[in-house]
Amino acid sequence: MKQWFIDQSVVHPKRSIILSILLTILMGTGIKYFVVEDDFMKLLPQDVQSMITWNNLRDEFGSTDLMFVAFGHSGGDALNPESLATLWDVTQAMAEVEDVDEVISLANMDRMDGDEGFLEVSSLQPAREVSDSEISSIRDYLDDNSKIRARSLSRNGDYFNIMIRPVVNGRNDVIVQGLQKVAAENLISYDVHWGGQSYLTGSLPLMIRTDVMALMRVGLIGMLLILLLSFRNIPAVGIVLVTILLSLVFMVGFHGWMYHLTGSDAFLFSILNTSMPIILLTIANSYGVHIITKFFRKMRLTQDVKGSVAASLDSLILPVFLAALTTIAAFLSMIFAPLESLLGYGISISVGIVWAWLLTTIFLPSLLVVKKWKPDSVAVSKASGFESFVVAFGDQVIKRPKMILGAAIVVVLIGAYGIFQLNIEVNMKHFFKPENPIRQSLEFMDDEMTGTMDLQLLINADLKSPEVLNKIESIQTFMESHPSVTLSISIADVIKLMHRMINDNDPAFETIPDTREKVNNLFTLYSMSGDPDDFSSLVDYDYRKGLATSMMRAISTREIVQLVDEIEVFLSQNDYEDLDITITGMLVVFRDLVSLILKSSFISIFASIIVIALIAAYFFKHWIWGAMAIIPLSSAVILNFGLMGIFGIDLNHVTALLSAIIIGVGVDFAIHYISQFRVHLRREGLTPSISHATMQDVGYPVMLDAASNMAFGSLLFSEFIPMIHMGGLMIFAMISTSVGTLTLLAVSLELSKHYLAKVEAVKIIED
Amino acid sequence: MKHPIRQLTVFTLLLVPFLLTAQTGYEIAKAMDETLSPKDMKAEMTMVLTNKQGKTRESTIRSISANDNREQIIWFLSPADDKGVAFLKIEHQDQDDEMRLWLPAFNKVRRISSKKKADSFMGSDLSYEDMTSRELDEYTYELKGEQEIDGIPCYILESTPKEGITRTYKRFVTYVSKADLVAIIDEAYDMRDELLKRRVMKYEKQKSYNLPVEIYVENVQKNTNTRLTFSKQEVDTGVEPDLFQEKNLKRIPQ
Repeated sequence: MKQWFIDQSVVHPKRSIILSILLTILMGTGIKYFVVEDDFMKLLPQDVQSMITWNNLRDEFGSTDLMFVAFGHSGGDALNPESLATLWDVTQAMAEVEDVDEVISLANMDRMDGDEGFLEVSSLQPAREVSDSEISSIRDYLDDNSKIRARSLSRNGDYFNIMIRPVVNGRNDVIVQGLQKVAAENLISYDVHWGGQSYLTGSLPLMIRTDVMALMRVGLIGMLLILLLSFRNIPAVGIVLVTILLSLVFMVGFHGWMYHLTGSDAFLFSILNTSMPIILLTIANSYGVHIITKFFRKMRLTQDVKGSVAASLDSLILPVFLAALTTIAAFLSMIFAPLESLLGYGISISVGIVWAWLLTTIFLPSLLVVKKWKPDSVAVSKASGFESFVVAFGDQVIKRPKMILGAAIVVVLIGAYGIFQLNIEVNMKHFFKPENPIRQSLEFMDDEMTGTMDLQLLINADLKSPEVLNKIESIQTFMESHPSVTLSISIADVIKLMHRMINDNDPAFETIPDTREKVNNLFTLYSMSGDPDDFSSLVDYDYRKGLATSMMRAISTREIVQLVDEIEVFLSQNDYEDLDITITGMLVVFRDLVSLILKSSFISIFASIIVIALIAAYFFKHWIWGAMAIIPLSSAVILNFGLMGIFGIDLNHVTALLSAIIIGVGVDFAIHYISQFRVHLRREGLTPSISHATMQDVGYPVMLDAASNMAFGSLLFSEFIPMIHMGGLMIFAMISTSVGTLTLLAVSLELSKHYLAKVEAVKIIED
Repeated sequence: MKHPIRQLTVFTLLLVPFLLTAQTGYEIAKAMDETLSPKDMKAEMTMVLTNKQGKTRESTIRSISANDNREQIIWFLSPADDKGVAFLKIEHQDQDDEMRLWLPAFNKVRRISSKKKADSFMGSDLSYEDMTSRELDEYTYELKGEQEIDGIPCYILESTPKEGITRTYKRFVTYVSKADLVAIIDEAYDMRDELLKRRVMKYEKQKSYNLPVEIYVENVQKNTNTRLTFSKQEVDTGVEPDLFQEKNLKRIPQ
């Protein structure tokens, strides 16, 4: 089998090149079916209980997940004729945006007036153009109705608040684009702030993808420069570049074909797939670097191109195959993830890795054979400075195995201690740098408006019963006592207002009426003058289900858990048994989602490590090799999470997920080292310099591979903190797994070489 | 090739019967307006409201109206929660309409605004504007064609508010029974000229009047509907004009 692979490049190089390109183009045609999905809501798992509850609630009451737009002039008075006319226009224009169900602002709110036996439901802003007396009437009404004021104006009255309710299952990305277009056309002379969970989910994917793609290009250039400095040969870098680009085209085409053929949302290209190209580029680069480095070393000795290619493949086909296999195993462990997109991610990147492996073992060596190499070129004739440094470094490590092992164990123990300090917390606001406009908008909304998050209490009870309504009122009072809650709204508020209006606007009657008949009469009265849909977001058609919505400032998942616990304790202590209450909303779904992703990421990490150990044990024919193969990876995982704990970096779903992904990139080094160590053991037996020889063979490509991949640390310059984390994680994973391999694994093998020699001796006899 | 003059003659002869009987849109509307209507009417109505989720709410109402429905008083008979609530409406030509509601639980009568004609009446798909008569001279009419609806030959009449007349609809397309000159289907288009409501009416003859027995209104944009079914209809019973007063709201007549 190995010889077949060698023959494809050594005997039939041109055929192999043409076939590889044709097959890549064929698969690459799937790019036309490649669909980018920026609607984050589509990615959420639909079978989580909180999601089911939330979906049922949205079917009944419409979408509860609002977007917010605030505009005005800081320190000014929003209630002026010009701004009100603009608000009128913007409200109407936003209502026309695709997938918008409802726009709520001062311009289309109703007011309820009652005086001298009269009750009128009329428009708060009667027309686009309003007179001074009409403005003063609006101002008086808002001053009398603090909750309506809080929803429609900023604390200082200098900004309008517009609330946009998307249609259920509407595309938030489409809405955001539509709203931004309206704002660009109408609000050019105003300060504009945006907010809301659905705004974030609608706007972030495109922004993050654009940011990452730009930084990825920078990373790719950096990677090629590092390779160029090391290889000192442009064609060699070109060969790596062509190989990784063909892998990328194949993977993207496959993703498109899979979406076309299966129709599954798992194969949409969403925000979660953003890291796919970077990950594949680094993996394909690793394989290419190992082959080319080996090729140059062999050329230096023999100056025979075909012989060098054949010898390189002979020693690298198995380790590269095992590296690919273990990486695929790590990615396929993503099937444990609760998000459908990650299943598509795992499958497509695995196919990309298979293709990268085939290209590296057939296409890339064929190019090496076809290219005319000058034996006296510096790339071939002399080792680079970097290579010499790595060899010297390796020698120092091998000379002090016990000291290195002791130091490594101390470092890993410190990491293990750090894991206990790890803080698991997600606050969407902290995904942005403080100077980022989105974060500033969110902070503005939190400080000046009613916040941009909301939590719903779904109440199943007789909502015409005064007793029930009084209990809802007391729950709302409790909710409003929480520092993060700015406002609570329910049908009880509307009933109290109607009760006041029917009693000639006497504030003493802003209470829940004392009989069910009175409550019912108020609803009938309203239906004679107001739109019955006015209550549809507060109460269902039968007055059996109601919503108490709390508007909130941005809080973290930990605070959500605390708040939900506090509400549950309050409800259990205060005789609310007759009210069947469910706490729901996007926040609760988000809390559960984060917890699910964290759990599945850890399962994925552990499953990867176990599968990698099993694969190594199977192919290297003894469990000890399996155990050795996971030493650098396990230490890297412990250090990764431990250092996060020590340096106070919160663990969130994004970091956990990225850690699980990046493990796939860091798995190769140990496989290459063990494979080469075994080759020496089997070929030369146990010699005192076995570790030195292994280090000479593997140290340089491992470090070069790691260094070139670290170029994707360019993500550190992202606008988005999760992407900065990804850049940091990429650098960290490369350093920890490569250094871990060349120190911890190297000294572990050195110290146990006698036992390992016996193991291999037995195996040689068995074979 | 046929002779062109002969072709024209045949065409003209075919057209003559139509031209002899053709009416303009206005004439049809005028004929409808002049159709005999009862001086007063008593009825019980069942109103079933259906929301977009398919959930329904049912009420029973007793209604007495006079003067082409310009004066109307209604009492809620059911559901139990609404029993006793009563509503009085008096339309005026030259001033705002009067609307009053009796709320038995509060022992109060409350006047209601009539400014927003597009508002829903009692949470139904009928607005106050839908319930008031269309004044003949406030619209222009165009006969758009003819069509059979459930075997009934109909004119297709388009009515558009004249300039200066403020309405919440841009135009109506009405399918008018040729035989009885009553609207079988009435389609209302919003200001964007998109179909908003579709009303389907069924009638029964009583004392030479065509009395509605069922009105089904569908709001096609909201996907909601209202079905009004009439029963116990009595006409020309000699309702006293002073019935339409606030004091009569408080007692449901037997």
